[in-house]
Order: sequence, then structure tokens, then C-alpha cells
Amino acid sequence: MADADPVSESLAAARPLSPHLTIYKPILTMAMSIAHRITGASLYVGVLLLALYLFGLALGPSAFDAVSWIVNSLVGRVFVLLFSWALFHHLLGGVRHAIWDRGLYLDRDGRELLTKASLGGGVALTALLWIASSLFG
Amino acid sequence: MSRFESGRSGKGDAFVSDRSGSLHALAMRHSARALAPLAVLSIWYLVGLVGKPYEAARAEIGKPLPAIALIAFIVVVAYHARLGVENIIEDYVHDEALKAKALIVNKWLVIAIAAIWTLAIMIIAAPR
Repeated sequence: MADADPVSESLAAARPLSPHLTIYKPILTMAMSIAHRITGASLYVGVLLLALYLFGLALGPSAFDAVSWIVNSLVGRVFVLLFSWALFHHLLGGVRHAIWDRGLYLDRDGRELLTKASLGGGVALTALLWIASSLFG
Repeated sequence: MSRFESGRSGKGDAFVSDRSGSLHALAMRHSARALAPLAVLSIWYLVGLVGKPYEAARAEIGKPLPAIALIAFIVVVAYHARLGVENIIEDYVHDEALKAKALIVNKWLVIAIAAIWTLAIMIIAAPR
């Protein structure tokens, strides 16, 4: 690897950092960008918990008794509900980015519309999933 | 041009691209495209497990379509989640040694999760 010379090294150290989050007025697209990241990281943890549940289910009845709370207890049900919402929210966030990647809906009204649609869509799809699951599951 | 190192770590790398950013971003989008249908299928089966006792849950997951969908899902999730958390680590962890450790933990943790998940589904779906 090429070593940087001391001059550019010290120049880089003196270079001002870009202003951070706290300096901006909070707006919906920004909040949704943060939410995309938070739901993504939460899904990571959620998948880890679900892997433990599935492993217990695979090992046998006594192992299942130890892990079934992840899905069957009140806390577990809330967890699966939040997991499914985070999944839909993150999925629609990805769709939103895919649309933006194609250069569409980038104007002021367009991006606000997409942001609200993905926020509402995530909640709506979660409700639809749980209603359908209780009816046909 | 600098030798490749994971992330933007290492002396001098603040001044040069590690020339892996575009591929990282593209891999994120390609895996996301695969995940969209897999995630919808998988969350249906996962929510279907809520409240089910042992035998019923095994019968549900043991069917061919749920088993294949859930395995395909976790394989792509492991890849996509690794890339996403790499971005998060590189954005927020500024201590070089800690960043390198976190990237390695992330790399192996997603593989461990996918391995446990896949093994579990295969045991459940195996003919008895």
C-alpha cells in the first residue's frame, strides 16, 4: 500500500468534518433513511432469534420448550409482529430506492409521495399479513 | 494504487479509493431483488408458526415449499445482511482495530446464522 506523505496526512487531519445529523432540520425522507438502517439492523437480530427457534424446533420437544417463547409467548408474538413490520418497511424502502435509482420520483412532491407510500404501505402490508394469516393460516 | 483491504481501513487509505464500493452497492441491489419475493413467502410461513405447538410447527415447516423458500431466504439474507452491516460498521466505528474486529465478527456471524437455520430446516424437512 502506498504510504501517504506527511503533508497530505496533516492536511487531512486539519480538514473540517461535514456537519452531522443534529445540525439539519428533521424531515420525513431523512427519518425514513434512518428507519431503513434501523429496521435492517433489527432484522439481523430478529433472524438470529428465529434461527434459535428453528434450531430448537429441529432438535426435539424438550429443546422446543426452551425456545418456543420466541414465537409463542406474548413477548414472542410482539417480536414476530415487529419483525414482520420491519421486514415490510425495509422491503418497501428498498423498492423506493430502486425507483430513485432509475431517476424517477426524485422531485420534491415525488420523493415525499414515495416516502409516505412506503411508510403507510409497510403498516398496511403488516396488517394484511396478520389478518390473512389468522383467516387462512 | 493501494492493495485491497476490507473497508476503508489502513494508513493512506483515507486518500485513495479501495475500488470495491461500486461492487458492494451493486451486490446490495442484486441480493435485494432476489430477497423481495423470498421475504414475502418466508414471512408468511414464519407468521404461520405463531401459536403453533411442536408437532404442528414441524408439519408446517416440513413441507417442501416452505422448507425450500426458508433456506433460499436465509442464504440471500446472510449475504445482504453482511453487506448492510459492513456499511453500518464502516460509518460508525472509527477505531481501526475495533472496526477490523467488527467486520470479521459480522462476516462469520451471518454464516453461523445461515448454517444453523439451514441445518434446522433440513432436519425438520427430512423424510422420517
